[in-house]
Amino acid sequence: MFSQLNQMLSGRGALLLLAPAILLLGGLFAYPLVKVLTTSILDPDFTLAHYQRVFDRPVYLIVLYRTVQVSLVVTFLCFLLGYPAAYYLAHCAPRTRVYLFLLILLPMWTSLLIRSYSWIVVLGKNGVINLLMIQLGLITEPLQMLYTTGTVYLAMVQILLPVMILTCYSVMIKIDEGLVRAARILGASPWRAFSHVYFPLSLGGVATGAIIVFILAMGFFVTPALVGGRHDLMLGNLIETQINQTVNLGFASALGLLLLATTIAIVMLFRALIRMRVVHEPV
Amino acid sequence: MSPSEPAGVGSKAWNVVFSGYFVLLLVYLLLPLLIVIPVSFGDDQWLQFPPERLSLRWYKSYFSDSRFVTATVTSFWIACVVSALATVIGTVTALGLSRARFRGKNVLYGFIIAPLIIPIIIFALALFILFNQLKMTGSVFGLILAHVVLALPFPVLIVSAALQQFDTTLERAGRILGATPFRVFWHITLPYLTPAALASAIFSFFVSFDELVIALFITGRWDTLPKRIWSDLRLEIDPTIAAVAAILIAITLVGITGGELLRRWAMARSANQLSMENNAA
Repeated sequence: MFSQLNQMLSGRGALLLLAPAILLLGGLFAYPLVKVLTTSILDPDFTLAHYQRVFDRPVYLIVLYRTVQVSLVVTFLCFLLGYPAAYYLAHCAPRTRVYLFLLILLPMWTSLLIRSYSWIVVLGKNGVINLLMIQLGLITEPLQMLYTTGTVYLAMVQILLPVMILTCYSVMIKIDEGLVRAARILGASPWRAFSHVYFPLSLGGVATGAIIVFILAMGFFVTPALVGGRHDLMLGNLIETQINQTVNLGFASALGLLLLATTIAIVMLFRALIRMRVVHEPV
Repeated sequence: MSPSEPAGVGSKAWNVVFSGYFVLLLVYLLLPLLIVIPVSFGDDQWLQFPPERLSLRWYKSYFSDSRFVTATVTSFWIACVVSALATVIGTVTALGLSRARFRGKNVLYGFIIAPLIIPIIIFALALFILFNQLKMTGSVFGLILAHVVLALPFPVLIVSAALQQFDTTLERAGRILGATPFRVFWHITLPYLTPAALASAIFSFFVSFDELVIALFITGRWDTLPKRIWSDLRLEIDPTIAAVAAILIAITLVGITGGELLRRWAMARSANQLSMENNAA
C-alpha cells in the first residue's frame, strides 16, 4: 500500500489523485444533469409534452422574460457600482486593503437567507426605515417598500455585488500601472488613459464578473420569494413549486433546461460581443 | 503631472471622492446586516430599532425551541463532515492537478468549478431526480455528498494557489537525501499546505452550513437550519429569526475573518519564499 502511495505522490500516479474528484463530480453532477435532460423528454417514452406545455401558456415565457430582464439589470447595476469599488480596492494602501477586503467578504459569506431577511428588518412595515421616518415626522403611514420590484433589485444587487467587486479586483491588481503612466507621459488625458488603456485591460475581469453574476442571478429564487411581490417571481420559483408542491419532475426538468439553455445562450452572446469589442477597439 | 504620480485618478480630490464612495458602498453592503444585531435584543413582538428595552427574549425563544436546536445541531455536524471531506478531496485533487501532465487539464479544472457557477436551482433539481431514482430522498449521506461537490471548488482553488508558489526544490532535496516520496510529502509538502487546507476547511464549512436550496429539495422530512429559517420566514416572521440571524452573522464574522487571514498567511509565506529565492539568484 505504501509503495502505491509513494508512486502516486512522485508524479507517475498523479492521475489517481484526481480519481475521487472525477468520480464525485461524474456521479453527482454530470450524470444527474444528463438525467434532467432525459427526464424532460422521456415519460417513459419520448415525448415533447412538457415543452409543449411551457410554450402553450404564456405565463412561463413571461416569467422567463422577467427572469432574464431582472438578471440583466442586476448584472449591469453590479458592474456600475462594483467597478469603481474594485478600482479603489486595487489602488489603496495594502495595509488598508486587508481590512476592506474582509468587509466585502463578510456579507458575501453570510447566509443568503439572512441577507434577504435583513432587508425585511430594514424595509418592512414595522421596519427600521419606516419607524425612523414616522418618528421624524416625515410620514404618518408606513410606506410599502417590501414586496415590491424595487426591493428585489436592491437586495439582489447587494447580494451579488461582492462577487463582481472581487472578480474585477483580481484582474485589476495584475494590471501594469506603467502602461497607464506611459499613456499619460505621451500626452493622454487622465480620462483617455483610463478609457483607452486601463479599462480595456480590466475588461477581462469585468466580463468574468458579469457572467458569474448573471448566471447566479438567473437561478435566484430565495430573495424574490422573501422580499418580492407576486409579480416578482422568477423561473427559479416556478421550478421550486413544481418540485416541492406539484412534484412534476418532467415539467420541472423542462423548465430547468429552459433556464439553463437561456442562460448559456445569453452568456455566449455576451462573450461574442466582448470579443468583437476587444478586436475592433483601436489601441 | 509628474511621472511618479499614480496615473489617472491619483489626485487628492479623486481620492476623497473614491473613499467616500467606497464608504457608502460598505454601508449598503453591511448596514442591513449590522442592524439585525441590536434589533435581535429587543423585547417587542414588532422588531424595533433602536429597541426600547434590551432583552434576551428571542435568544431564549431560539434555544428553547427544539425544532431550531435540532436543525442547528444537524446543520453543524453535516457542515463539519462536509468540511473535512471537501478539504481532503480538494487538497488531493489540487496535488494531482499540479503534478499530472495531460491534455484537457483546463477542462477538468472547469468541470470542478462548474457546480459553483451553474444556477444552484438546476443542480438541486438534478440531485432531486437522481436521489428520487435511487430512492435516496431524505438521506443524510446524499446531502453530505452533494454539499461536498458544491464546496469542492474552494479547497481546489485555495490549495492550487498555494501550490503554484510552492518551491518544489524542497521536495527534490528531500528525495535526493534519501527520503521516500511519502516521507517528503508528510514532512515537507503537507506542513507547507496546512494553512491553505485550514482556510479551505473553514470556507467549505460555511458553504454547507448556509446551503438552503439543495437541502430544501432532497432532505424530505428532516430540517437543516437554513431550511428551518426558510419555512419560518415564509409562514410568519417570528422575531426569533432575528436572534438566529444575529448569531449566524457573528459566527460568519469570526469564521470568515479567520479563514481569510489563514489564506493570506498561506499566500504570504509562499511569496516570501519566492522573493528570498529571487534575491539569492
